[in-house]
Amino acid sequence: MPVVSAFLVPGSPLPRLKPEVLPWGRLAAACQRAGRALAASRPDAVLVYSTQWFAVLDQQWLTHRRSRGVHVDENWYEHGDLPYDLHADTELAHACVAASPRIGVQARGVNYEAFPIDTGTIVASQALEVGTPERPLVVASNNLYHDAATTEKLAAMAVACADEQGKRVAVVGVGGLSGSQFRTEIDVRTDRIASPDDDKWNQRILQLVESGDVAQLRALVPDFAREARADMGFKHFYWILGALKGRFPGARVHGYGPAYGSGAAVVEFTL
Amino acid sequence: MAQGEILAGFLAPHPPHLVYGENPEQNEPRSQGGWEPLRWAYERARADLEALKPDVLLVHSPHWITSVGHHLLGVRTLSGKSVDPIFPNLFRYRFSLDVDVELAEACAEEGRKLGLVTKMMRNPNFRVDYGTITCLHMIRPQWDIPVVGLSANNTPYYLNTKEGLSEMDLLGKATREAIRRTGRRAVLLASNTLSHWHFHEEPAIPEDMSKEHPQTYEGYKWDMRMIELMRKGRTREVFKLLPQFIEEAFAEVKSGAFTWMFSAMGYPEIPGELYGYGTVIGTGNAVMGWNLQREGLSTLGREPASLARLTD
Repeated sequence: MPVVSAFLVPGSPLPRLKPEVLPWGRLAAACQRAGRALAASRPDAVLVYSTQWFAVLDQQWLTHRRSRGVHVDENWYEHGDLPYDLHADTELAHACVAASPRIGVQARGVNYEAFPIDTGTIVASQALEVGTPERPLVVASNNLYHDAATTEKLAAMAVACADEQGKRVAVVGVGGLSGSQFRTEIDVRTDRIASPDDDKWNQRILQLVESGDVAQLRALVPDFAREARADMGFKHFYWILGALKGRFPGARVHGYGPAYGSGAAVVEFTL
Repeated sequence: MAQGEILAGFLAPHPPHLVYGENPEQNEPRSQGGWEPLRWAYERARADLEALKPDVLLVHSPHWITSVGHHLLGVRTLSGKSVDPIFPNLFRYRFSLDVDVELAEACAEEGRKLGLVTKMMRNPNFRVDYGTITCLHMIRPQWDIPVVGLSANNTPYYLNTKEGLSEMDLLGKATREAIRRTGRRAVLLASNTLSHWHFHEEPAIPEDMSKEHPQTYEGYKWDMRMIELMRKGRTREVFKLLPQFIEEAFAEVKSGAFTWMFSAMGYPEIPGELYGYGTVIGTGNAVMGWNLQREGLSTLGREPASLARLTD
C-alpha cells in the first residue's frame, strides 16, 4: 500500500497564529511532532482533505502547481496574516480528477491564480511542513453534499491513483472534533472545551481511535456528529478511513485541546 | 449635521454568474452573456440608485460568515483580486472599495448598546468576500460610493432561525440608529437569494440558458408567493411566512440580510418594486427595491413604526 503515514490535524488557525496562548501552543507543538513523523515517513506527496474547503458543485481538486499569497482568516483576522507558498503534485491531482467519475463523482481541477485556499489547508500545511517541493500536496475539497461513504471512496480512489503512479503518500484530514464554539469574547487564556458533554464525546472518540476500534467508531460517529456538532460530521476522519482501506491497528494522540471552545486534536495513525 | 436618512433598500442577490454574463473589464473570464433578465433588472435598479444619490451603501453578505458576533469592515480602502471559491471559472475579479469607517464604527457601537457582540475588522490584507463584491458590482459598477460591509453571523444556522433572525433584527435597529446619528444618506443592500435549491453540476457552457430553470417547482412557487406579497407591500405577512419559506425553500434569506434590511427600514408596509426575477443554477433570484424617499419615509428622526420582534 502506498500510504506511509496518516494524520488528523485541526483546521483552526488559532494554534498557528497565537501559540503563546497555552492550550493553543500545546496543539501547535503537537502538530510539530506530527510533522516530524510525517517527514520521517518520506512521502512523495501528501493527500489533504480540509473541511473548510467547501464545494457544492462537483468535487474540486487543487491543480494549481504553486499557490502563493497572504491569507487572512475571516474570523480571526486580528491575530495576523497567514502567508503561504504551497506546491501541488498536479500529476496526481489530475489523475484524481480523471478517476473521480469511476466512483460516480463529477470532478474538476482548480487551477487559478489567487484561488482562495482555505484556512485549514494553509495552517495544516504550515504546521506539518508539507506543500513544499519535496512534499507536494494533493488537496480535495469538502463537497457539502457528499456523505461519509463518498468521502471514503474519494480517499481510496486518490490512494489508488498514487499507487498507479508508484508514489508513497501521507494522508491528512484537516478538521476539528466537537464543533461548539464560544459565541462571545472570552479571555483566551481560559479557553476550554465548550461543554463537559462535548469533552466527554471527544475523549470517547479519541480513545476509540487510539484503540483502532473501527466498528465502534462507525457505530458512534453519527451520534458524535449530531450531539457534539462534530466538524462537518467528522468527514475528515472518513477521508483517513478510506485511505487506510477501512482499518488501522491504533493511533497516537499527540495533542487534544480547545480552539475557542471547539475540540481539536492531533492524531497520528498507526499503519 | 444633516439628519440621517435611509433612502431605499434593495434585495440584491449575488450570483457571480451575473458579473460573468456582463463581461466587465475587472473580471478575467469572458462569457457570451446569459442571465439577461436578471442583469437587465440590475440595470433598472442601478438607475434608481443613481437618482437617490446616497452617501453610502451598506451591504450584508452571507459569504462573510462569522461565529463570534457581527463584524464590520473597518479599513478605509480594501483592494485585491476576488476569486469565487465555488465558481472560480466564472469570477476572478479585481476590486477596490472605500469603506465608510465612521459609519461602520457607529453601527458596531449601536449594536453593542443593544447587547450584540460586534467587532471591527482592521486587517488591511483582509479578503473581502465575493458576495459583497458581486452585489456591489451589480448595483453600482462605478465603485464610487463608500461602503459599509457587514458579516453574516452564523447564529441562524448554529442555533436556530428564530434566534438568528432576532439578532439580525437588532442589528438592523442598530444600523438605523447609526445612520441617524451620523447623518448619512444611506442605501441598504440585502445580498440574498430567495429559494436556494440548486443544481449539483454545471452545464458545459455555463451561460447556456437552455439549461437554466428553477431547481424545484416548490421553490419557484414559494418565490412567487413571497414576491407577490412584497410587491403589494404586505411586509407583516412576508415576515410571518419567512420561517416557513426558509424551511421549505431552503431560502438564503435565513442568513439574515433581508431581516437586517427590513428592520433598519422599520418594516415599511410599502410596495416593493420588482426589477426582475430569474434563476441561477436553479436558485431563485429577485432584484427588488423599496424606495423610502419616494414614500416620505426616509428621514430617521423618530423610532420606526414597529413590527416589534417579527420572529416572536
